[in-house]
Amino acid sequence: MLALLAQEVDFVRPAIDWHAVAPELTLLAFGALVTVMDIVWLERGRRLTSSVASIALLVTMIPIVTLALDGEDRVMFGGAFVVDNYALVMKAMFLVAGYVVVLLSTNYVAEGDYWESEYYGLLLSSILGMVLMASARDLITVFVALELLSIPAYMLATWRKRDLKSNEAGLKYYLMGVFASAIMLYGMSLLYGGAGSTLLADINEAVSVDGSPSAIVVVGVIFVIIGFAFKVSAFPFHTWAPDTYEGAPTPVTAFLSVASKAAGFVALLNLLFVGFFGRDDVYEPLIWILAAASMTVGNLVALRQTNLVRMLAYSGVAQAGYMLAPLAVASDVGDAALTATVTYLLVYAAMNLGAFAIVLAVARKTRSAEIDSFKGLFGYAPGLTIAMSVFLFSLAGIPPLGGWWAKFRVMEAVIEAESASGVVLGVFVAVNSVIALYYYARIGLGMWAEDAPNGDTTPIRVPASLVSALAITAALTIAFGVYPPLVSEFDVTLLAGGLGG
Amino acid sequence: MSSLLAASSADVPFPILSALVVTPFLGALLMLVLPNGRPEYFKQVAFLVSGAVAGMTAWVMVEFDKHTADEFQFVDSAEWIAGLGISWTLGLDGISLWLVVLTAALFPLTILAIEAEHTPKAYYAWLLLLEAGVMGVFLALDLFAFFVFFEIVLVPMYFLIGQWGHGARAYAATKFFVYTMFGSAFMLVGILATAFLTAAETGNAVSFDLVYLAEEQALATTTARWIFLSFAVAFAVKVPLFPVHTWLPDAHTNAPTAGSVILAGVMLKLGTYGLLRFGIYLFPEASVYFAPALVALGTIGIIYGAIAATMQKDLKRLVAYSSVAHLGFIVIGTFALNTEGLSGGLLQMVNHGISTGALFLLVGWIYDRRHTRLIAELGGLQKPAPVFAAVFMVVMLSSVGLPGLNGFVGEFLALLGAFAAHRWWAIVAATGVVIAALYLLWAYQRVFHGPAEGDNAEMKDLTWSEGAIMVPFLAAIFVMGLYPAPVLERMEPAVDALIEHIEGNVEDFDEADADQGEDLDVDDLKDLGKKKDSKATDESALVEGGAG
Amino acid sequence: MLLNQFLLLSAVLFCLGVYGVLARKNGMLVLMSVELILNAVNINLVAFGAFRADVGGSVFALFTIAVAAAEVGIGLAIVLLMYRNRRSIDLTQADLLKG
Repeated sequence: MLALLAQEVDFVRPAIDWHAVAPELTLLAFGALVTVMDIVWLERGRRLTSSVASIALLVTMIPIVTLALDGEDRVMFGGAFVVDNYALVMKAMFLVAGYVVVLLSTNYVAEGDYWESEYYGLLLSSILGMVLMASARDLITVFVALELLSIPAYMLATWRKRDLKSNEAGLKYYLMGVFASAIMLYGMSLLYGGAGSTLLADINEAVSVDGSPSAIVVVGVIFVIIGFAFKVSAFPFHTWAPDTYEGAPTPVTAFLSVASKAAGFVALLNLLFVGFFGRDDVYEPLIWILAAASMTVGNLVALRQTNLVRMLAYSGVAQAGYMLAPLAVASDVGDAALTATVTYLLVYAAMNLGAFAIVLAVARKTRSAEIDSFKGLFGYAPGLTIAMSVFLFSLAGIPPLGGWWAKFRVMEAVIEAESASGVVLGVFVAVNSVIALYYYARIGLGMWAEDAPNGDTTPIRVPASLVSALAITAALTIAFGVYPPLVSEFDVTLLAGGLGG
Repeated sequence: MSSLLAASSADVPFPILSALVVTPFLGALLMLVLPNGRPEYFKQVAFLVSGAVAGMTAWVMVEFDKHTADEFQFVDSAEWIAGLGISWTLGLDGISLWLVVLTAALFPLTILAIEAEHTPKAYYAWLLLLEAGVMGVFLALDLFAFFVFFEIVLVPMYFLIGQWGHGARAYAATKFFVYTMFGSAFMLVGILATAFLTAAETGNAVSFDLVYLAEEQALATTTARWIFLSFAVAFAVKVPLFPVHTWLPDAHTNAPTAGSVILAGVMLKLGTYGLLRFGIYLFPEASVYFAPALVALGTIGIIYGAIAATMQKDLKRLVAYSSVAHLGFIVIGTFALNTEGLSGGLLQMVNHGISTGALFLLVGWIYDRRHTRLIAELGGLQKPAPVFAAVFMVVMLSSVGLPGLNGFVGEFLALLGAFAAHRWWAIVAATGVVIAALYLLWAYQRVFHGPAEGDNAEMKDLTWSEGAIMVPFLAAIFVMGLYPAPVLERMEPAVDALIEHIEGNVEDFDEADADQGEDLDVDDLKDLGKKKDSKATDESALVEGGAG
Repeated sequence: MLLNQFLLLSAVLFCLGVYGVLARKNGMLVLMSVELILNAVNINLVAFGAFRADVGGSVFALFTIAVAAAEVGIGLAIVLLMYRNRRSIDLTQADLLKG
């Protein structure tokens, strides 16, 4: 061991491109600031923290924009950290999603009974993990980013400390999450052993040899994918999602169902497209099964849910299936699969956050997320009803809303593969869209056509922060669908990183 | 149907077709921002918007160049999603012209004829959105755009049935929605496969342009047949063809009157129009291959619809089943794949829209007055409401296909075409005409004849405003029945071009002509009514015997 | 250099850990089983690193140890919270949420 370390004494400090890491550093500084404010000012900081958190996310957008304008791909730390178009698009998505979550949280947290500064500190550090994930092209970076985003999320889910449901939500999320990341780590250790390097680009070189793969590589790839299948709540690793979603505070649920799932996908994309792209004979069948099973089971179980949050959880499982589908034909269509999944992630973030914003707004009056409590909404909250219909029909994939374009990209990718397995998967997506339509449309009709339960039609007062969250998400959902080039004209080729890459 | 570039004869700088789609859409948005305080404004604004669309359509109809009816006119094209070869391309030829006119005419009349029972704001907004979608379907020349409109149409209709319907409205609305979505899900797979496989075969960039894909015909025979099936399923649900028709009676029975009128008047035509434009034009070989099967299904639909209609106790359900039968005629005419059949099918699409639309309106008015649609509870309405009865009689006879009224020409041409191509099926289908006369006249007799008792004796006759709404319907029924030439001569070139397209792309395709290789021309068609008068009189005599 | 023996040991530890997570009902024991898996990972990493004379394995192991400590810290806090509210850390009793 000592001898090994001794070989490395001629340590050279790696060159740091400060511009490239500026988003992470900004977020880190603000996260620390919020935490310090919490410690120093205690209750007096209460009014400020949510504003500081939203300012943090907006300020972090500045370096992202300057990096995008600059347009240069930046590679650091021997290829472990890469800033390319894809990374920037995903980072921007995490920041906007985070901003919307802060808007959703503002009133919820301020009106709740719990201490709040830690809430925003945790939120910011989780977002920092996600932003880092978008650039990670190395097993260690991926792992650290994953834990950085997960650990605060466990605490956020348990945030209502004396609420048994919140405890249980956090516990289930934590145990499943830790178990999954342990399995993933075991897979990573095997991949490292097979390749002798933690860099994804090197791993790709080592595993992409002709002929059948070695057992170590097969087990490594499968374990790593399973680890992230937990994170993106794909069947059969989704069991935590409905319980955690229901028990956790609703803004946290929105955060988990959108940002955390997206981060899992980002990691998966990095690994698949950079790490073991050449080993498609191992990952494609696995992803195919995960995708087909997730969409089918997710939709079928969602059919019989009576709680909207649980229904959104199962529909999220199904949506994860749609997002996985293009990856099952990744080797045939290459970048088309990447674009399809990224498009879906962006659109999904907008529409799902919007749906949760409505749940929050309605629950302010009804104190319930039961589907029946949405009946007759049109009678006393027509604006919310129209917005919710937009989100639901977008989730169902009805044109000309964003969800339709996302689903179209997925279908396009699997059919472009021109293989039997691709077309069968396309039929799976098609049939599942119809099943999903049934439960989304049922809620829609209930809101428009039924009478409000117990005739209570006092209007809902929606606070300004929720209104802005709704405006942002609804505008994006519609804009993505009406003018799809907004989401599909990013050049999202994944830069492999690697030395000098 | 030659190239798009050579198409536009009336070179208009103003994108009139886009305006036809966008105007009602903007109207729907406008509806949402109107203040709630003055509910009567909603109807007026909706009528003005749809009236404006009708006005623009009238202009298009006048400007339409009948000598180049086989080309797409007023073409309006813009890039939409350049990376995937998706464009916003709208165009109009002899096939779509009359369906657009029908749509533009039916919406303002429906809006005028029926008051929203409640929540007028949402009601008229959905109706206008529906009009935008239907217009888009008939005008789109890009497969992507077509699919988008085809799906958009479902949402407003879902809410119209679900929110303003009667009885099991949620069930009916959901059934309608899920059935049609199921069909179109397959069509999406088909559309994508068409675009990508064509790109792969030709080596060109991906394009969703209808004309390009149809002229290219790059797909292998078996592939094309599979893809045709995926389209056919979607359109068959929409038509609806037996055995996927079961959503239709439920939807009609529970829908509000306006929903029924639009559903029967224009939405069912989305299916038959789709079969024509996207089935036959894109996949001529597969259409020829599957034509016997579709003719068989159409014939089964005619007989089944007719028998089922005979047994209905609910007047509206009866009309709904008669729609299944009528749509069967359109399908067998279309898939006779000859000039007579195709023109007949096309004409019948328009005719069915007029006569069944009017029938649903009248049934709706009966329901408004009597609050029941059960035939057994009605009776003797002729005495208190003679004008109503007379109008009902004319509309019903047009639906039966009485010579001199519009229904006859289309049905006769469709049967003539089918007879040449599939003799025995056509003969079976012809019995459907007889049964149609039977059940409609029988229903008329039970509802309007006999003694008027109880509430029936007090039924209000047609009011002046209702009468005014019926005038355009009656005018269309008589004009198209007596002098169909202006309509037919604009369809004919497009239909002939379609048949040439089939001949050009299918080896050993033999157009089964009605009069041995010599195309019927318009002058013959003008006096069709006279030629076949004797046979038709026999029919009606037979029917009246049965009904009495 | 011995590699297979290390891999075998780690595989055994991994299996024990997975079994523990799936079979145990006690929150603390589940946490300890997760620790077993993480230690299996560390053994793998260090063994591979030494075998390939690459320092990356040891570095990765250090990261794993540090992060795992944080993770288990949170885990203990959550289990403690459950104990405070319920006076029990039996996982089968956490059944408020289902459907």
